[in-house]
Amino acid sequence: MKRLVSGNEAIFQGAVRAGASYFAGYPISPTSEILQQAALYSEENPEFRFLQAEDEIAAAIATISASLAGAKSFSATSGPGFSLMQEALGWGHVVEAPCVFVNSMRVGPSTGMPTQPAQSDLLQIKAGSAGDYYPIAFYPNSVRECFQLTAIAFNAAEESLSPTILLADAFLSHLYEIVDLEDTATEVVPRSKESLGRGQRLFTGTVHDKMGNVKTNDPEIYRRWLWELKDRHDRAAEKYPLFEYLPRKGSETLLIAFGITSRVISSLKDRFSIFRPIRIYPVLEKELNEVTRSYRHIIVVEGSDGQYASWVECAICRKVMRVPCLGGGFKLRWIQSQIEECLRGTTK
Amino acid sequence: MDRSYKDLLKLRRFPHTWCPGCGIGAVLKNVAMAVKELGWSDKNTVAVSGIGCSGRMSGYMNLDAVHTPHGRVLTSAETIKTIRPDLNVIVLSGDGDLTSIGGNHLLHTSRRNPDITVFCNDNEIYGLTGGQAGPTTPRGTKTITSPRGEPYSPLRLGHLLTQQAPYFYARTTVYHLNHFKKCIHEALVWKGFSFVDIVSDCIELNGRRLGFKTAHQMFKWFDERFHIVEGERDHLGENELGIARAVEEEVVPPAEKVEEKPEIPMASLKPFTLEELHRFDGTGGKPIYIAYKGKVYDLSSSPLFQGEKRMRCHIAGKDLTKDIDVAPHGEDLVFKFPAVGRLV
Repeated sequence: MKRLVSGNEAIFQGAVRAGASYFAGYPISPTSEILQQAALYSEENPEFRFLQAEDEIAAAIATISASLAGAKSFSATSGPGFSLMQEALGWGHVVEAPCVFVNSMRVGPSTGMPTQPAQSDLLQIKAGSAGDYYPIAFYPNSVRECFQLTAIAFNAAEESLSPTILLADAFLSHLYEIVDLEDTATEVVPRSKESLGRGQRLFTGTVHDKMGNVKTNDPEIYRRWLWELKDRHDRAAEKYPLFEYLPRKGSETLLIAFGITSRVISSLKDRFSIFRPIRIYPVLEKELNEVTRSYRHIIVVEGSDGQYASWVECAICRKVMRVPCLGGGFKLRWIQSQIEECLRGTTK
Repeated sequence: MDRSYKDLLKLRRFPHTWCPGCGIGAVLKNVAMAVKELGWSDKNTVAVSGIGCSGRMSGYMNLDAVHTPHGRVLTSAETIKTIRPDLNVIVLSGDGDLTSIGGNHLLHTSRRNPDITVFCNDNEIYGLTGGQAGPTTPRGTKTITSPRGEPYSPLRLGHLLTQQAPYFYARTTVYHLNHFKKCIHEALVWKGFSFVDIVSDCIELNGRRLGFKTAHQMFKWFDERFHIVEGERDHLGENELGIARAVEEEVVPPAEKVEEKPEIPMASLKPFTLEELHRFDGTGGKPIYIAYKGKVYDLSSSPLFQGEKRMRCHIAGKDLTKDIDVAPHGEDLVFKFPAVGRLV
């Protein structure tokens, strides 16, 4: 049935489609509606449990603990809450708990500009917690994609045995579109981990060997553990090399944008080629290299001061130009003028 | 002596990490004994612990165990119980983990009252990191971060956790063994959130600085400081060992106030025409009348109309039936006033 659905609702419904049975969260704009949906849904479906936690720290810990206890679980927050969740995110990688964290980005740092949209938490998904870890992150740009990618994020979590991240922005969370969610096909990967109460395992955030014995003074064990984690994540991420590429014949300029910026600049597709990464992390190195090769100018349009642009530069070993849309300003005319300015600068 | 409790311990990992003389060993052993006595096994029991010396306890239990980040043990235990109500969830942690960094979670998890049992190894110090003062360190105690003596009063867990029924709070020490065993057993069988505050010793990083030579001297000190109180208690005093518990207070929903006004038959009311009504607009000491759905009400007692011909857009002496559509309140506000007539 076609109906008007918001991005937040699509995310929640996508999680339910993927088999989620636990949600923990704390009210924060712009994802409070997901918490509200969870409360309403659990009233009608007692097998779905939800917790309105005392803070995001507890919400994130509860999400990971629920995963260890055997439920497909998820949590949703925005930038400031996501900062509080970083501790649990790191823990989730070490105890191998598949679950999904939704981060609908708003202008930061700190309280920032509630609730103006931004895309400035990309580094936070990768480097917010202590140590090395390799989360898989997706970023939709429409309500239908919110639904599909939430389900895919759950699948990637089961395959990588770790928390995965679904990015969104305040625009997308509150974007209403007419979609038919029931008719949207998704694949569901079943639960991959045995729940608690099945033996004598230790789920610890301390580095441990295969038996779960804590080993805190052996670099070899740590190396083996980290490479295995990286390898598992790479294999899971390889299954989802998601992107959208709109080539424009004769264009020498490639615009790279994702999430809401890709929607804003979509009307420029008659002038420029546009590349939209959907899997934000790990960075689509192979695809970016292939696509960018034939362009003279590459411009990354994003809602942060070059967070994704720096990843692109690393991936393709080339300088790119940047159009940072800061403070919630995503006006097409302004973006267009910035692009013109970038191009003028190169012809001088 | 029955040594079957050893099935519950990962003896292959022994010797354990704790210092000689530490009270944690006693906590681990007695919890294992009580769990065994109740017939619980690795199929239906999960141990959850936090960070610190006492956080290592779960790793020595032959159970599925979860070792959480610092302070998050209660949230984790509560969630596990939510997802798997069939599991017995026991929390083995320390005072720093539960009351300092996990203080917020202690407040809120105890409020939500999940059926979990918390064993708090309360050694009044941060042992693993070298002996810093914590929220349970008694006032005046010299530690490496309070060289002139701890300036603040300790957190009174007994008061904090018994402020709202239902609750189960037991205080015991590792020295008062029989009392200690009894508290553990009672807490495990309690339905709801139960908290056992086990005063324990840290001889290496606290006791020696306080002037104790051996762990045994510290135990004797516990004997001097604390005394056991028998019987059912609501609260425990400063140096009392015992169990304070209360079952859920019965929640009586506030009775809905229904004020029944006798319905006055229309015919018996005094008839008013609109012109007559118009005269009662409050001017010259006259009462304030308005009409609503065919009846005339006396609004003279309304504090909002007092001395005024109008209240916002409502004009006295008029038929205000249509005003209710745009008003931010319902018609019950009109019915509060006495009906004095009918509109003809």
